[in-house]
Amino acid sequence: MDRYQFEDAISAYLENDLSLSERKAFESYMNENADAKNLVDSIRSTMQSIKNMPDIKTSDKFMPNLSRRIEIERNRPSKKIVERPSKTFFGFTPLYAGIMTVLVASFITVGVSLWPENGKSFDHAPAFTGNITETPNPVLSNPVTPTNNAPVLATSEIDSADTTLNKKKNFKLNDKVQFVKDQR
Amino acid sequence: MNQLSPNLSMQPLAMDNQFRYTDEELIARFQEGDEQAYVELVNRYRDKLMTFIYHFVKDNEQAEDIVQDALLKLYTHKHYYRNIAKFSTWIYTIAGNLAKTELRKKKHHKVTSISQMGLEDRDYELPAVAPETDEVAQSEYIEKKIQAAIQNLPLHFRTVTILRDIQELSYEEISKIVDVPLGTVKSRINRARIQLQKELKDLK
Repeated sequence: MDRYQFEDAISAYLENDLSLSERKAFESYMNENADAKNLVDSIRSTMQSIKNMPDIKTSDKFMPNLSRRIEIERNRPSKKIVERPSKTFFGFTPLYAGIMTVLVASFITVGVSLWPENGKSFDHAPAFTGNITETPNPVLSNPVTPTNNAPVLATSEIDSADTTLNKKKNFKLNDKVQFVKDQR
Repeated sequence: MNQLSPNLSMQPLAMDNQFRYTDEELIARFQEGDEQAYVELVNRYRDKLMTFIYHFVKDNEQAEDIVQDALLKLYTHKHYYRNIAKFSTWIYTIAGNLAKTELRKKKHHKVTSISQMGLEDRDYELPAVAPETDEVAQSEYIEKKIQAAIQNLPLHFRTVTILRDIQELSYEEISKIVDVPLGTVKSRINRARIQLQKELKDLK
């Protein structure tokens, strides 16, 4: 045991809070060092002196003053004495329990009204529910036959293959729009 | 709730077998409306709290005000106490917090508390020499010297020392009151005792 360990253990020694082996080591150190023994004796004596100090008493006016302050507190309308509510529901006061009930009821009502009727699905894709099955691609499996659709395509007024159309369309736009880095 | 008598009795209560009640039983009775139980709690704790608070503020009148605040809080917030901790832990925590608030106010108002003063500023009103003729005076001298030494401790050392060596609370209770781990409380008390011994070794 060194000096630091010794000093750290003084209170524990004085209060019988050391194990047997720690106590032996402590006493061994103390017996080998006279100043260490003096320190322990001195601290023990100091503790005793502090313990013997009388309590500091309140004055004779203490109780009448306290009584008066309690009376003021009781009669103060804005600051009432805190009373525990008579009943609680699941730990909530009646007020908060009422608010919570209304909120839960509203939530359920809104939830039910938004729920799709007769088991119809939503507009968007339903959530994945498992069991992926390979289904044939309808486009690939039923290719469009050109013979059937040819007259329809021929009647179209705009030829999508005509690139000059796009140039004409974009001409004015390109004239006004220019990139920041474009040095035209 | 029973009406509190205008002047609370300072005398021991006429409560039957009051000595049988623990603090926790008394607060339970008070929570049910028995104001005699409150008076008994006040009588049990007012001097203990006074001693505890006095070492913070070093002023009798101010200490008494803080103790009254704490006991008034006990009256107005009695239902805040839950029987999961010792009553003493609860009331000391309230009183300690009020004292710390008061110290902060003092600091704010530039009225430097003794703990913030430099060593050269401190004035403990100690007699120049220890009177050796009068035993009472000698005892008073030692008492003042000890109080001054306690006052010299940093606040976190002072608090645990008062609670342990003067109020004789357990380490576990102190740990809850000051809200620091048990090991830290033990270490602080040990270091505070060594520091006190250094200041008071001349007394021996």
